[in-house]
Amino acid sequence: MNEMLPITKDSDICRVLTCLPEKFVVDFANGIDVARDHQRVQRANTGFGARLYDGFTGKGKRRQDEVNASLIDGMEASLTWLTELSGSLAQSNLAIARVNDRVNALKLDVARIANFSAITRQQLETLTTRLDEHLDTLGREAARIDFVQRVQLNLDQVFNKWRAGHYQSFSLSGRCYAALEELRWGAFGDYCRNTSATDRQRFMDDLANRAMAQLASDAGLSSKERMGTRDHWLIRPVGQHVLSDASDALAYMGDWSDRESVPFVFSVSQLPDDLPRELPRLSSAQRVAEAMVYEVLGDNSHA
Amino acid sequence: MPESIKVGLVLSGGGAKGAYQVGVLKALLEMGTRVDVVAGASIGALNAAVLASAPSLETGVERLDELWLTLAKSSPLSVKIPGYLSLLVSAGLKMNGFAQLEALFRAARLVAQRAGLQLPEELNQLDAGALCDKPLKELMEQYLDPVALNKGLPLYVSVFKSLGGTTDLLRTITAELGILGTAESEFLHIQSLSQAEQKEALLASAGIPLLFAPRQVNDSLYSDGGQGGWQKQQGNTPITPLLQAGCNMVIVTHLSNGSLWSRHDFPEATILEIRPQSSIARDSGFLGGVKDLLGFDPHKIPSWIEQGYQDTLHCVGRVMKASASRSELRKSENELKDSERRNTISDSILADAMSKMT
Repeated sequence: MNEMLPITKDSDICRVLTCLPEKFVVDFANGIDVARDHQRVQRANTGFGARLYDGFTGKGKRRQDEVNASLIDGMEASLTWLTELSGSLAQSNLAIARVNDRVNALKLDVARIANFSAITRQQLETLTTRLDEHLDTLGREAARIDFVQRVQLNLDQVFNKWRAGHYQSFSLSGRCYAALEELRWGAFGDYCRNTSATDRQRFMDDLANRAMAQLASDAGLSSKERMGTRDHWLIRPVGQHVLSDASDALAYMGDWSDRESVPFVFSVSQLPDDLPRELPRLSSAQRVAEAMVYEVLGDNSHA
Repeated sequence: MPESIKVGLVLSGGGAKGAYQVGVLKALLEMGTRVDVVAGASIGALNAAVLASAPSLETGVERLDELWLTLAKSSPLSVKIPGYLSLLVSAGLKMNGFAQLEALFRAARLVAQRAGLQLPEELNQLDAGALCDKPLKELMEQYLDPVALNKGLPLYVSVFKSLGGTTDLLRTITAELGILGTAESEFLHIQSLSQAEQKEALLASAGIPLLFAPRQVNDSLYSDGGQGGWQKQQGNTPITPLLQAGCNMVIVTHLSNGSLWSRHDFPEATILEIRPQSSIARDSGFLGGVKDLLGFDPHKIPSWIEQGYQDTLHCVGRVMKASASRSELRKSENELKDSERRNTISDSILADAMSKMT
């Protein structure tokens, strides 16, 4: 223990007396040395002569008085110090209690922050998921719009081509078939194969209307006005502008067709001598357009 | 603010054991203790005068060390004269009856020569200057410089109004036996006296009754200040002038085992006593105390210096240790208060931040 260590000039406690030490502390600490000095003399004076001399001169009593006074000083100082120390300890304990309160409050705050953080994280994750979904939807919608746009472009390109007379080498119904084949292998065909039945139906109706209008225009008839199928809708054009291999091209494109399931396509592309029984002998532009649209792009098509 | 401190130092009387005070002063110096006023009785007065004459505490301690070690190295044993007496004579005191003693020895030498006898060598050396150690005398003359003394630390010495050597001795004996007390010593402020009186007062304070004649100061005869207030050591431990000079901290050195001087006679003063932690007596047996007082064996001087040094470290260190622990306690309490103040601020900031979360 420190109490037992000798005090040397290098000890930390040996500092300049720069401020006045408290009197009771000096009396307390120094009183121990005073009492010990007297006690040492008391112990040394145990001989009869010494005791007699101390008793006679009164030194023995005075020495004992000094020891007693030092002890009383010591006890008073102890009480003072102990009282102050207890007060200080009480303050320290209260401070510790306040620190504990603060720590508890801090824990609660930390818990709140942790909960807040967890909830925020969940919300962020949900938001991320929703955003992903939304972005996915937006992406799909953008792709769909892009697709539809390409379909429309495909339609416009094909019908512009038709109106511009690029199919003049084909019969009236052959023009329609050539246009429909081009659409089937283009974006329009892809769209019809991948979209819903309702949507496909909507596009096919639109396509049929466009084809009907263009056929009627090419034939110089109204859309419902009927004409002989063989001698009007299937008849091949003649003249220098007609490409020589136009019939072969149609035959090649329609080599998948058969007379029972797709009589219009079969008749237009293969030009049989005997027309299929299912093929009407009189047809209007509407009938030809609708029948060919549903034979090329409908459920029974080869695609 | 800490109260300003004025430290007084009491160097009590105790003959050759005054060497102990050299050790005390060495330790106080090393511990950085300041001394503002000094008071001494008997040998303590001489030590105090050397200290007060020095330009600094450090120099004063060096001079005292040199003085006492010179005394320790001298060979007063060769003439069977105690060192303390040699010191006093070197300081300027003349022993009572020495002239008669010298004449007696001269007659003895003459008779011995005529009778063809050989006297011991020590007696042949005895003459008027035998008691006066020359190096010691030179040091005393050098270090008790009146001019330096007047500029030095305020110095008080204890003197006892003498009624004659024999009467003084009888009064002291009756006081020692507890029959009648001696009159109280008086305390003279050295710097208030004339130069001539200053030396007289110093020598008076140290002059052992019977051996040395009383000295005259202010029309009164004074001798060893240690005789006054014998039972309570009032004269031998001159604290009163230091308290009157406004010292609020007094360091008291004792040169006897179990000194009956009582700090409780000065309830208002803050007193730090340097008491021997082991017996300061070196000679035991009958007249052992007298031998220690007079310094029959100067070779014991270094041991007293060392004891004074160690005892001071112990006594002052113990007080400082207790005082330091209280100081640390106060400091920690203030730190705690400051810390709590800072906590209040951080609490407020945290509460503000937390309120934004809801």
